[in-house]
Amino acid sequence: MIQLKSMLNCIDNSGAAVVECVNVLKKKRAATVGDRIVVVVQKQRNFASEGAGGSISNKVRRGDIRHAVIVRVRKEMQRPDGSSVKFDDNACVLINKSGDPIGTRMNGVVATELRDKQWSKILSLAPLHV
Amino acid sequence: MPPRILGNLPQLPCLPKGSLFTIIRANVPTRSFGIRSLNPPKASRFNVGADLPVLKSTPTAALERKSRTLPLRTGTIVIKKGMTGLFDPETGKRVPCTVLQLDRVEVVSHKTRQIHGYNAVQLGSGWKHPSNMTKSLLGHFSASGVSPKRHVYEFRVKDEAGLLPVGQMINADWFQTGQYVDARSHAKGKGFAGVMKRHGFGGQDRSHGVSLKHRSMGSSGPGQGGGSRVYPGKKMAGNMGNQQNTVQNLKILKVDSENGIIVVQGAVSGPKGCQVRIQDAIKKPWPEVAPAELPAETPAEPTA
Amino acid sequence: MANPSPILRQLGCFRSLMKPQSLQHAQISRRSITTAYTPKSQPLDFPSKMPKTFLSQIPTHLQPHSRKKLKVYPPPASATTTCKDAVGAVNQSQLETLDPTGERKALFDYRRNPRSVKVGDIVRVTFKNGDPFAGVCLSIRLRGHDTSFLLRNQLSRVGVEMWVKALSPNVESVEIVQRTAHRKRRARLYYMRQPRHDMGTVENIVTNYLRQKQGLRGIKGRGGRGQRR
Repeated sequence: MIQLKSMLNCIDNSGAAVVECVNVLKKKRAATVGDRIVVVVQKQRNFASEGAGGSISNKVRRGDIRHAVIVRVRKEMQRPDGSSVKFDDNACVLINKSGDPIGTRMNGVVATELRDKQWSKILSLAPLHV
Repeated sequence: MPPRILGNLPQLPCLPKGSLFTIIRANVPTRSFGIRSLNPPKASRFNVGADLPVLKSTPTAALERKSRTLPLRTGTIVIKKGMTGLFDPETGKRVPCTVLQLDRVEVVSHKTRQIHGYNAVQLGSGWKHPSNMTKSLLGHFSASGVSPKRHVYEFRVKDEAGLLPVGQMINADWFQTGQYVDARSHAKGKGFAGVMKRHGFGGQDRSHGVSLKHRSMGSSGPGQGGGSRVYPGKKMAGNMGNQQNTVQNLKILKVDSENGIIVVQGAVSGPKGCQVRIQDAIKKPWPEVAPAELPAETPAEPTA
Repeated sequence: MANPSPILRQLGCFRSLMKPQSLQHAQISRRSITTAYTPKSQPLDFPSKMPKTFLSQIPTHLQPHSRKKLKVYPPPASATTTCKDAVGAVNQSQLETLDPTGERKALFDYRRNPRSVKVGDIVRVTFKNGDPFAGVCLSIRLRGHDTSFLLRNQLSRVGVEMWVKALSPNVESVEIVQRTAHRKRRARLYYMRQPRHDMGTVENIVTNYLRQKQGLRGIKGRGGRGQRR
């Protein structure tokens, strides 16, 4: 249940660590996995320790306004067979306006519901899905 | 410009507009009183035009209009038993469903076009002790040769072909798995409910000077310009629920004729144990009924 | 009540004339308490030549040709008496189609089956689409064909919880990877969500178990299927 002011973890290597939701797109209610939202980058990830800092320069900076796709939510999601899945945190992946992910890698598990909402590209980037 | 003149316009198409106004203005001096709307009333959007049929008010015309939405065969009375979930073994989906059960549903009598003006099958279900029944009702059941019934309802059908013989029992296999039905029953009564619960109004502010009016409706209509009255049908607080409600297009998932059980997908209004009337869905094609299922007395129905 | 003398009104009170004689006697002795048997009053015979117009003055039940008795038909056998619990019957039929052997149901029936899954056990579920999910069982809901259990695990350091319907057609197999060391004192282990009590990931235990199973299968040949259910 992501809405205005919700803080999410950003799990790609775009450079953002924590983002804040400022808008839910195409929906009048709380967003869940697979929904597109507008976020503000609140905290940057520090890549300085990762050797070649120049090449993996942060693609986004603190205060940037970006679009994102939610990949994990705390609120349980019901599956068609009545089972449900929930995660311990809310997380998203930054995308550009055309819907392609900004980062090139993702770390962390994502929900399979992304496939139903046509985000297969993000699902294939993810190392794990549940 | 007085609105009445505008309303007459389509009837005099031969005259050019300008001349018409001048004639009317010259002949009929009009004075208007009261408060007028700035926008003149629009002509009716419906049933206006040369080639459109004129709606008639005869009973025949009414039946003709209704014939497309009247089911070919009768429905049945069932009891809502409760809800559960069904797994579909192929797709693995779990769907919510309502369990309905038939209780001695028999045809009590007919309503026919010649006598009553429409065709309907009167069905009765359950059983009522004869000592608790008026003599007139008892005579009605006795004449048709069925036991005294607790619940009696009519199901309209399109024509005489849908009238089942009196006394015939209706079982759960009257409906087929996969067909669609409409279920009508009385919704749960909610008592006297406010506008927020009853009509989904937004209510008023929690603060900003609002006192004691947080869940009230706001204005009940316009003031002087609107006629200084409350329009009929204004949504207000009042009794909610305990009114008949129809749920359309419920799919039949399962039929158990031995136990008289019909399982439909989704919810049906009303509490457990209430009487529900189900009939073939009017917004879906009529189900294909095998001629063998029909009683021998009536000819096979033409299925749409 | 004082009876006005019927003599004054000649035919006005035909009803009182029709009244049987014994009833009038009973009225006189009304005030005495007696247990003496009084036979039921029988109406007198009608005069042979009574005009039909007087019939309306006679009470209906005393009229010469009272209405014939209605034939009341007995009710047919009811499905509601043979099958009182319709919802239960539907659920039972579901149970029979989803779990014909009753094995899966027994696997979670922790109240009756001592070898069942208990809370605190590590359980591995394989789904029809091939995805496995393993985790600690936090809770078991026994609801007949809707029986489900809650598994918790940590995948890539993020806690994941999944309610699984035990009898869902999507569930291929359920196996117990590791039983809890001692019986948990709670029925619902929701405290294990707290960081202090969190078990962390169970992936290591599961991979160990799978390796062991693979080994057993290698020794036993193709016949051994381990604990697979």
